[in-house]
Amino acid sequence: MELYAMTAAALSAAMRRGEVSSAEITQSVFDRIRAVEDKVGAYVTLCEEEAMAQAAAIDARRRAGEALPPLAGIPVAVKDNICTEGVRTTCASKILGNFVPPYSAAAYEKLVAAGAVMTGKTNMDEFAMGSSCENSAMHPTCNPRDLSRVPGGSSGGSAAAVAAGEAILALGSDTGGSIRQPASLCGVVGLKPTYGAVSRYGLVAFASSLDQIGPFGRTVEDTAMLLSAICGPDAHDATSARREYPDFAAGLGRGVKGLRIGLPREYFGPGISDEVRASVMAAVEAFRAEGAQVREISLPSTDAALSVYYIIACAEASSNLARFDGVKYGYRAAQYENLTDLYERTRSEGFGDEVKRRIMLGTMVLSTGYSDAFYKRAKRMQGRIRAEFAEAFETCDLILTPTSPTTAFRLGEHVDDPIRMYASDVCTVTVNIASLPAISIPCGTGDGGLPIGLQLIGPRFSEALLLNAADHYEKLAGGFGAVPAVG
Amino acid sequence: MNEAYEVIVGLETHAELNTETKIYCSCKNEFGGLVNSNCCPICTGMPGTLPTLNAEVVNSAIKMGHACACTIHNVCKQDRKNYFYPDLPKAYQISQFDVPLCEGGYVDVILDETGATKRIGITRIHIEEDAGKLIHGDTFSGSLVDFNRCGVPLIEIVSEPDMRSSAEAKAYLDTIKAILQYLDISDCKMQEGSIRCDVNVSVRKRGDPNFGTRVEMKNVNSFSAVTRAIDYEAARQIAVLEAGGEIHQETRRWDDLKGENVLLRSKEDAQDYRYFPEPDLLTIVVPEEQVEALRAGLPELPNVRCKRLMQEHGLPYFDANLLVENRDRGDLFEETVALGAPAKAVANWLNGDAARLLGERNLTLAETKLTAKELAAMVNAIERKDISNTAGKTVIEEIMFTGKTVDAVIAEKGLAQISDAAALTATAQEVLAANEKAVADFQNGKTNVLGFLVGQCMRASRGQGNPALFREILEGLLKG
Amino acid sequence: MTFDINHIAKLARLRLDGAQAEKFAAQMADIVEMVAKLPEIEDAAVELDPQNPMVLRPDTVEPSLRTEEILRNAPQVEAGCFVVPRVVD
Repeated sequence: MELYAMTAAALSAAMRRGEVSSAEITQSVFDRIRAVEDKVGAYVTLCEEEAMAQAAAIDARRRAGEALPPLAGIPVAVKDNICTEGVRTTCASKILGNFVPPYSAAAYEKLVAAGAVMTGKTNMDEFAMGSSCENSAMHPTCNPRDLSRVPGGSSGGSAAAVAAGEAILALGSDTGGSIRQPASLCGVVGLKPTYGAVSRYGLVAFASSLDQIGPFGRTVEDTAMLLSAICGPDAHDATSARREYPDFAAGLGRGVKGLRIGLPREYFGPGISDEVRASVMAAVEAFRAEGAQVREISLPSTDAALSVYYIIACAEASSNLARFDGVKYGYRAAQYENLTDLYERTRSEGFGDEVKRRIMLGTMVLSTGYSDAFYKRAKRMQGRIRAEFAEAFETCDLILTPTSPTTAFRLGEHVDDPIRMYASDVCTVTVNIASLPAISIPCGTGDGGLPIGLQLIGPRFSEALLLNAADHYEKLAGGFGAVPAVG
Repeated sequence: MNEAYEVIVGLETHAELNTETKIYCSCKNEFGGLVNSNCCPICTGMPGTLPTLNAEVVNSAIKMGHACACTIHNVCKQDRKNYFYPDLPKAYQISQFDVPLCEGGYVDVILDETGATKRIGITRIHIEEDAGKLIHGDTFSGSLVDFNRCGVPLIEIVSEPDMRSSAEAKAYLDTIKAILQYLDISDCKMQEGSIRCDVNVSVRKRGDPNFGTRVEMKNVNSFSAVTRAIDYEAARQIAVLEAGGEIHQETRRWDDLKGENVLLRSKEDAQDYRYFPEPDLLTIVVPEEQVEALRAGLPELPNVRCKRLMQEHGLPYFDANLLVENRDRGDLFEETVALGAPAKAVANWLNGDAARLLGERNLTLAETKLTAKELAAMVNAIERKDISNTAGKTVIEEIMFTGKTVDAVIAEKGLAQISDAAALTATAQEVLAANEKAVADFQNGKTNVLGFLVGQCMRASRGQGNPALFREILEGLLKG
Repeated sequence: MTFDINHIAKLARLRLDGAQAEKFAAQMADIVEMVAKLPEIEDAAVELDPQNPMVLRPDTVEPSLRTEEILRNAPQVEAGCFVVPRVVD
């Protein structure tokens, strides 16, 4: 098997045994990038020279006898809304221009401290707003399983990179499903941590109360390793939780006997395609056979969730994106007559359509006369959605749902229909609204071999439980499949 | 002002706090410095950055709340106030909207020399961040933006519309400034912008129970400008009403050089700030014990101290008020009087020469070497007539800036005043002998030549004679 | 629910020009209709969470960024400052 197709766990062990070097692994990944990147388009910026230098440095330290962390020398891709000092960070937007941050995100610094090798910055929907990666100002990303289809979004580049072997692991961000949905569409593992588990410092904000950085891997164990590396409190993020986290990879293998799994009927409605439903229910049976107790539950406010999500997320985004004005960094309109003209031209020329739509929506729901009917009502509804989950978790340990209502749709299929596009998020947004952790794992394929994903949702800070159940399923399924040939 | 009308004034005062660091980042909280040299990614609004609230800002604001007898909301939050302007890098200001840290208090303002006070309500005090500065100049290609001041912590003190004249407004501002200074939470240097004021003015016919429409004025940059702005705006509004017009709710910009204001924003153009709770910050919870400890640690406040000094030391309001203007000055006064120096004299020296010398050198009392011991020594020396009052002016400068003792200065500069009658008489006789014409003039009725003769005696004694005694002695000798 | 798209654009400092404007307005109307379908519920708003208080930052100075770093990404710099079209304060 090619090095780029191996798992982080296997590569880490092999490096410790002296069987392979980080330089060889990183070289293998970049060779793979050269072979498939022009078809997949997972990256915005490649950092081959720096990555090889980082790999060499890790190899030297290992040769010198230094004991290194598990991720040392492993090539990891980073979503382009995570600030990386000295490396262009674009959020796949024209308005950031050639912004090179003079500081790094806390999660990225942790990755560096863990010795990971950064392959480059991955493509995404502009400012994390989208479900297909088609809103990137750079280029769309193609699903490695079927290049005529989307990889999902907004972390489409990260998911595609991991799926295609263009990175061993990747970091993404999730505000309404942006890690889980692309994981599901690309057939990889993606986890959104509990809100507050990973520092948001240096993550270019979309919706401050919903955003989290999270890991992608091809296996649950790999995903667990990356999660352990980035979790933890950060004095620069007042919303980060003051707690310690266990070694997630070490906590796997405890089985699912007696695990109480809830199936919320609202997530299995008519919007879910037949093939997705069939795959997910087959997985449910597999859990049952392993001794899990499965029961149907109800989360009645689910149908309001998409509205709640779009109101809250867009409100916060309209405020977070107001700083992009052509004055301090990024794109600046070439011609303008006065200050207002500068702002309006810069922002209208610099932002893509979806971003503008969401800024407009967010501005409206906060404005005088509308704030009560929209923003305040959505916040009250958020309280109810949280309460419903809390109640459900009194009788369930985990909740299981499909991740995405369908498999990957075709490039261009939904670009003119924002509301159709928003419907891709219907199974995932509630998780962000309730600040809960959730993981998406492959659970089969549909027509055309397109991956199907199932989602496990847990109470706050139950990542260990989620990973354990996911890992158990992975073992039952005999693994999640090899890196596909691309194109 | 047209006596048929009454003016109603409310003030919103912003004071920069003197904490070590800015409110949401750890940059130094410092005035001046090269442009954009005191900034970081957080206070310049770079993408991905997050605010963290400075604990000391909360403490300072609570102290002010206690000093103004406010209810402290020890569970509160911050909110975003959204608007676009070049000095606001995030395009929103983190402030407090509906749950301010302090609410519902008052200050008792001394109105005149009788010590009569008026209670001015304080609606609320909240914490927020300052914006940057715009620099204008014809040679620049546009307006320049300096973010050094971004993120400097502010407290906004909102008064009730309880003031009824520009004089009351000035007294209120003086009180607020004195309190801030006493609490040592702000350096209150208006010339550095560390205390700023927006002025709200309305008028109504006397006897009318309803408030008129209020107009807000911005860019009022000194306490005396506040008085001018209020008087102008009241007159402007009255003129409009008298001519049959209406006052519209609007914001006007004060121009102190021209002594007038112009429309800045009408109600229709009013900003929609789209306030919502700041999602990057959690709930602020200040433990009750901490709130109590801050209250217990308050110093005696200036107006209270003023009244006490008037009562205990029989000082007139004017003197007492000047003494309490500055906490150090009041402290030094009390220490000096406790050492046995006469109160009025000590007050005069501190409020007069000492204050002038500090002003000339732009220093504070703490930055000098003046001690209660030496000040008492000097004042007592003058009381005993060991030195003249004039000599005192030299002494005080020396003891303030060189740290020498009073005795050392007197000796060094030969300031000891001669009050020995015999010695003075001898000198006087010599002077009379040398000035026969003056003596003759005096005998002929030109009594004002006495001043000249006293001056000659002072010269002869190299300034060390006691002039009042010389005059007495000369008079005695001349009258025979 | 009706809304004034031009007023919102002005608040957001966005300009909707040309053919895009109409299409945009229609899309916005659909989205607004979707999100407006929020039921009216009686639950109280919870904006304060005293069970989850914020840890405040100690008042200790840390080094600032060098001026060159602050200005490095700026589209226009003059006399060590960012530049905007002339405004009256």
